[in-house]
Amino acid sequence: MGLEQETEMTREETDALLSRHETGVLSLASDDDPYAIPISYGYDADERQFYMRLVSTPDSKKREFLSGSPTVRLVVYEEAGRTYRSVVVSGVLHPIARDEITPEHVEQYGDAKRPLFEIWGDARKDLDIQLYVLRPETISGRRIELELDQ
Amino acid sequence: MSASEEYVFVCPDCEESMEVNPSMRDALVANGCVVCGAPVSIDAFTRVESSADP
Repeated sequence: MGLEQETEMTREETDALLSRHETGVLSLASDDDPYAIPISYGYDADERQFYMRLVSTPDSKKREFLSGSPTVRLVVYEEAGRTYRSVVVSGVLHPIARDEITPEHVEQYGDAKRPLFEIWGDARKDLDIQLYVLRPETISGRRIELELDQ
Repeated sequence: MSASEEYVFVCPDCEESMEVNPSMRDALVANGCVVCGAPVSIDAFTRVESSADP
């Protein structure tokens, strides 16, 4: 299979891809230690912001990497036939304190998928659910058309 | 000035509790619990009695 063409997607194409998906891979880091997790999100194409609920246990490595307002990358991709599209978002993940939640936030999080509590071995009361908004500094979308050799 | 309406919301699923005003209550009923995403009915809200009331 050979590479035929790689093209930068338009803002409209990029927003459309991010809107029709609801999961991606979020990458964090601490010094030289990387940490990547699958997440679900709601995307506001007008504000170009991502809304996430991230679940962790208090002493988990995930909680450690999420502390403060970390710089992150989010990757969302799809493959349809010979067309491969990917979007890479870089920005800062801001936690939303409970007393900062507005009706607008409630509406935005209504579009985000529910956390899958059943995948956690811990009791629900031991899980910490933190709300975050990812405010991108860059959003880059690419489309690759592959050519079949045979 | 009359006291504003306030409610205590307790999610029936994740048990998250917060004090909310009417617009937040309406948003939660329409969109579900902001913390866990569970559906929310009006039964999840309890009116807070204002200490300014006679």
